[in-house]
Amino acid sequence: MLKTSDRRKDAFVIYRTGVWGKSREMIGIDTQGASSEILALVNQLNVQLEQEPKYQPRINGLKVIETPHENGIRMTVQLRELEVKDLLSLSQFFGFSTDAFVLATSLLDRFLGLMKVQPKHLCCVGLCCFYLAVKATEEEHSIPLASDLIRISQCRFTVSDMMRMENIILEKLHWKVKGPTVLNFLRLYHKLILNCSSSERDKMLNLERLESQLKACNCRFIFSKTKGSILALSVLALEVQTQKLHELTETIESLRQHSKINDHDLLHWRARVAECLAEYSSSRCSRPSHKKLKWIVSRRTSRQLQSYHHITPLPTIPEASTCTEREP
Amino acid sequence: MSSPTASTPVEKVDGFSRKSVRKTKQKRAQSSSQYKIQGKAVDLNPLPLLKDVSSTEKAALFQRKLQQCCVVFDFMDSLGDLKMKEYKRSTLNELVDFVAVGRGILTEPNYPEVVKMVSFNIFRTLPPSESSEFDPEEDEPSLEASWPHLQLVYEFFIRFLESQEFQPSIAKKYVDQKFILQLLELFNSEDPRERDYLKTVLHRIYGKFLGLRAFIRKQINNIFLQFVYETEHFNGVAELLEILGSIINGFALPLKAEHKQFLVKVLIPLHTVRTLSLFHAQLAYCIVQFLEKDPALTESVIRGLLKFWPKTCSQKEVMFLGELEEILDVIEPTQFVKIQDPLFKQISRCVSSPHFQVAERALYYWNNEYIMSLIEENSAVILPIMFPSLYRISKEHWNPAIVALVYNVLKAFMEMNSPLFDELTATYKSDRQKEKKKEKEREELWKKLRALEIKKGVRKGMQS
Repeated sequence: MLKTSDRRKDAFVIYRTGVWGKSREMIGIDTQGASSEILALVNQLNVQLEQEPKYQPRINGLKVIETPHENGIRMTVQLRELEVKDLLSLSQFFGFSTDAFVLATSLLDRFLGLMKVQPKHLCCVGLCCFYLAVKATEEEHSIPLASDLIRISQCRFTVSDMMRMENIILEKLHWKVKGPTVLNFLRLYHKLILNCSSSERDKMLNLERLESQLKACNCRFIFSKTKGSILALSVLALEVQTQKLHELTETIESLRQHSKINDHDLLHWRARVAECLAEYSSSRCSRPSHKKLKWIVSRRTSRQLQSYHHITPLPTIPEASTCTEREP
Repeated sequence: MSSPTASTPVEKVDGFSRKSVRKTKQKRAQSSSQYKIQGKAVDLNPLPLLKDVSSTEKAALFQRKLQQCCVVFDFMDSLGDLKMKEYKRSTLNELVDFVAVGRGILTEPNYPEVVKMVSFNIFRTLPPSESSEFDPEEDEPSLEASWPHLQLVYEFFIRFLESQEFQPSIAKKYVDQKFILQLLELFNSEDPRERDYLKTVLHRIYGKFLGLRAFIRKQINNIFLQFVYETEHFNGVAELLEILGSIINGFALPLKAEHKQFLVKVLIPLHTVRTLSLFHAQLAYCIVQFLEKDPALTESVIRGLLKFWPKTCSQKEVMFLGELEEILDVIEPTQFVKIQDPLFKQISRCVSSPHFQVAERALYYWNNEYIMSLIEENSAVILPIMFPSLYRISKEHWNPAIVALVYNVLKAFMEMNSPLFDELTATYKSDRQKEKKKEKEREELWKKLRALEIKKGVRKGMQS
């Protein structure tokens, strides 16, 4: 009687030797050794890998942003990064899941790859993408009002502006909102690794930590130009390397091969992720932000704030250093 | 003579009585304790003007005029002695103009006359307050009726003290401790104009009479201590604090132990008084001056403020927050590190206060550049303290303006120290989940107990 762990190992060996054949479906596999759970996951992975290209931003379109002087508009990489950071703040403030944020960034990048956006409209575009993502991923009762979003983010457009922009975005993206994002890939890969590995050390691959790392990467523009699957695997690969979980390197390798990711690419993006995370943990305050936040206080408080400076003090009386001040 | 008070029934608004509804708005009351024994009419012989006499005679004439001005009139009787009152007024006016520019009139014999005239006019028992429940914050003060004369006397005395010919060595025989005691008592006058003059008078005296300084400080201490611990009633606290401000500003370094004691034993406890709003600006100024002189006192000052932090009076809380911000504006980074822990715990409580003004004022700290830079440097300590309440009120506070301000603060924190922020968010969420689990378990337990009760009851019912 095979033990569960052995069965898992065997199952994975089957994957490695590519029993599937040329097509990516799992036809003809010896399912005796593999658990149904793993099969389901792999199936899911295949589906996502197939759909991925349709939800990728147009790389050429994004490259235009990198050369602002030539594209005639003033959209820059920095503006995009700042906008994404704002969306991250909003997402954390409202307590949304990481899905919302990642989806919002993906929508934004896809839109930026298709359309030339003026910097003054970036705020509106960003917020609309965010709202679309929230509506797609969050539960009904957690979705805030559009007016609340605008008020909190201190943007200067109206709800009707936002609705119009939403329509434009949806049109350009051909109404394809919910696709496999880098986060989906990360979770899938993570589950596969946990299921397929036999050691207890897989507990060290903390999903929350990985998701935060992913969020940090999402803020950087360079990662928009690569596939989500590659980025997800790079993050995992880096974590495996940092935590010295050497027994998992094999699994990572298998996944790489299965996802048809170039070895060179994986190394390259893993290094980029490392750089990004190093900067993220060491970063001191990145103020001033491009948008100075408004501090609106009530009238009573603002009156209070001014009231302290109305005393004109009496002329100073210097203390004598001699003993003449003693009581007679 | 008491002024009529229309007694409207005390209204209850939301269960709390509105004090200001008690009195109808009335004209400013006047009172005075100067009164005249009936019958004796005052008759003063008009004297020639000072400018009309030769310079040799000026000093003597000056003296005679001073003596004439020692006569005090009853201003509550608005019709009596009008001619004489006017005469005195014009004489006083003349003296005021003369003492500043005149030469050779401040002869030694004139000193005691000046002091005597001033004493006769200003030293009096202050009239009792119009209403026994005079609330300095709400009610109009009753003014001194004899102000037309009194003001000129004060004006005169100030110019006398400031005169170029003034010699403290002569004056100190007459401006003595008894004079100071009586002067200080006058600070309890309800008339703010009088207190303003008294403030200037005492300020000049303190400046010029070195021998009286220690005495003055001691007496002011006594007044404050009595105010804080016994009566909670004294009208001149703000003015005395203004004088103290200028004294503190002039302290020599290193600070004497006496002054440090004063700070800790007198100035800090002054914050506990109910009527703080009347003198808070001046008090805060004194505190900040102290800290600019000797930053090492910062820790004890802030700990003192935190100890006396108002728990039920939101208006006072807002004042404390204002004062604290002024202190933080001048704080040294090394001192900041010493008190940041208890300080931000208190700020964290203020920020979650349901009173929106308190929350707003506390959140506004994050708009202060210098405070932000201090927070940045110590974000690893401060962020964990502030985070739970900030995160909670971003979801739960009733006031949308507060929620918007909280966003500003959280965003600043996010940008300051992103990894720590992520960590805290994760911890907070997991803590909340644990709490929810516990609550559920507790509910289950109660359900079980209830089921037991019912079973027992049924069994009992079946047995009987």
